[in-house]
Amino acid sequence: MSFVEINEVSKSYGQLKVLDRVSLSIERGEFVTLLGPSGCGKSTLLRAIAGLNTIDEGGIVVGGQDITHLPPKRRGVGMVFQSYALFPNMTVFENIAFGLKMEKKPKQEIEQLVNEMIATVDLKGKENNYPHELSGGQQQRVALARSLVKRPTVLLLDEPLSALDAKIRRSLRNEIKEVQKKLNMTTIFVTHDQEEALSVSDRIYVMNHGNIEQSGTPQEIYTSPKTEFVARFIGNYNVWSREELQNTAFRGVPAEGEMFAVRPESIRLTAGPAAEASGEITADGSIVRASVLGNVIRYEVDVSGLAVTVDTLFDKAGQEHRLGSRVTLHIPKDEWKAIQKSPSKTGR
Amino acid sequence: MQSKLSTGGKIWHICVIIVVIAYMLTPVFGTIMFSIADEWGGILPKGYTLKWYEELFNDLRFWQAIGRSFLVSILSTVITLIVMVPAVFVAATYLPQYERLMQGIVLLPFALPGIVLAVGLMRIYSSGPIPLTGTIWILVGVYFTVIMPYVYQSVRNSLRSINAIQLVEAAEVLGAGKAQAFLRVVLPNIMPGLLVAGLLSISLLLGEFVLANMLVGGSFEVLQVFLFHKFSISGHLVSAIIVIFFTVIFFFYLIILTISGRRPKAKPVAIAEEGDQA
Repeated sequence: MSFVEINEVSKSYGQLKVLDRVSLSIERGEFVTLLGPSGCGKSTLLRAIAGLNTIDEGGIVVGGQDITHLPPKRRGVGMVFQSYALFPNMTVFENIAFGLKMEKKPKQEIEQLVNEMIATVDLKGKENNYPHELSGGQQQRVALARSLVKRPTVLLLDEPLSALDAKIRRSLRNEIKEVQKKLNMTTIFVTHDQEEALSVSDRIYVMNHGNIEQSGTPQEIYTSPKTEFVARFIGNYNVWSREELQNTAFRGVPAEGEMFAVRPESIRLTAGPAAEASGEITADGSIVRASVLGNVIRYEVDVSGLAVTVDTLFDKAGQEHRLGSRVTLHIPKDEWKAIQKSPSKTGR
Repeated sequence: MQSKLSTGGKIWHICVIIVVIAYMLTPVFGTIMFSIADEWGGILPKGYTLKWYEELFNDLRFWQAIGRSFLVSILSTVITLIVMVPAVFVAATYLPQYERLMQGIVLLPFALPGIVLAVGLMRIYSSGPIPLTGTIWILVGVYFTVIMPYVYQSVRNSLRSINAIQLVEAAEVLGAGKAQAFLRVVLPNIMPGLLVAGLLSISLLLGEFVLANMLVGGSFEVLQVFLFHKFSISGHLVSAIIVIFFTVIFFFYLIILTISGRRPKAKPVAIAEEGDQA
């Protein structure tokens, strides 16, 4: 049995089913991400684990203890909120000490634990500052320290980086990952940002409409999406149905499968028409748009009416394909992924 | 062209402000003059004196009336705060489905004119199982309903501005019970708001006359009722009372402005600058 077991959890708000018999299991020390668009139920699930939401059906077990019906204060979990939720009337030290005071730990022990934690999250010298005197990144580190100092069974992170600007977001994300590894803290991270999810997680659950669409390591999720939804959500995948491909010049399309996904960076471009090569799916097209994204050039190639996105490494300046020039697309057969069609969104 | 327009506009603005201020201050100024006038002749008094103040300060009834006014105002306000703050907190945090009901109840006192309220209350409480008319308690009871809307609104706003729901959730996950979360996290953060609401209520009640006169009148003579009785005796004396009353209220508002003008500790939304980072 895994450290965290979520069994068939359901939750509805009126007619709206927010969680539909969701099950997942997490090993001790694992960093797991719930990834999905807003309204997919990821935050509701996280809040249910913390005890801030009730659930209609199902059970939640952490460390062998059934916590489904316990009040939040007796669950022993830690949670970090998107808006920090620091106590404005308390200093950094008092904020971090709050949870320990609630446990009625002796004063000396509290002082020692809090000081250790302040050093861990790199806030030395800010002990006596009030939250409003700190930057957003520092505030979120205080919130993290406040949760970690109690050594929670599970650390729940509810979009903790969303209110920060891009630079801080990246550095804090790595810091969180480092602290998590150091303390071997079982962590559930909720985000709608696929890059964030891919970079920090041991495992990702992609959620949609209260269901888990796919789970796996970041590599699995990114390179082998199983459904149309995951392929569209996770990156810049080219997603085509067989119907769309019917009248195009793609050569060597497999006979099976309804929908296909191709990563833009797995497509190779060569100038002019090329001889047919075995082991590849090829097509002729012309460049309609090219944009430099930094180290990558993103082309939009028109293949008899179908727009194809192709990413190539911007390694040699001056060798880009010109707008309107004829090119051949080469796609390795094993990068041409057959995926499941996702039901079109209705009722939302 | 533009600057010409704006100077013209500016003069116009200043004129309007001067007229408004003059309009509002003239009665106050007149009252002050009358309270220190010996005998009035023509536009200005013939002589100045402080004898009206002296007479007032030597009158035991005046001091008693002031004492009663403060007693009943402060008592009513404190009771209202003690009842309303936890009630509004619970409704806002745990029972949002009852918020509408609460808002409805809170607005009720506005629907009833004071005089109607007073007549109704007099009829109910003058005899029967709870004879309260003529005592301080009927005043405390009715003042509760008078200031309830203001207290409700300011508590509500305070809770919203500190994002109380999220703070309570954070405290609960950290191991606090609901009562602890309220006392240690919510209450300290809404204290400035409560102080302002309390002071506003007290100053509002200090000036209340209709209910005090009709429900209690002479048997528990508050300042406004005392003032009313003095009307028939001497206008100078009445002016002196009003000047003293204005002064007290002025200091109340000074305190209120100081408290509410302070920079709030809580940030409403979590968007902060990232100066010393990265």
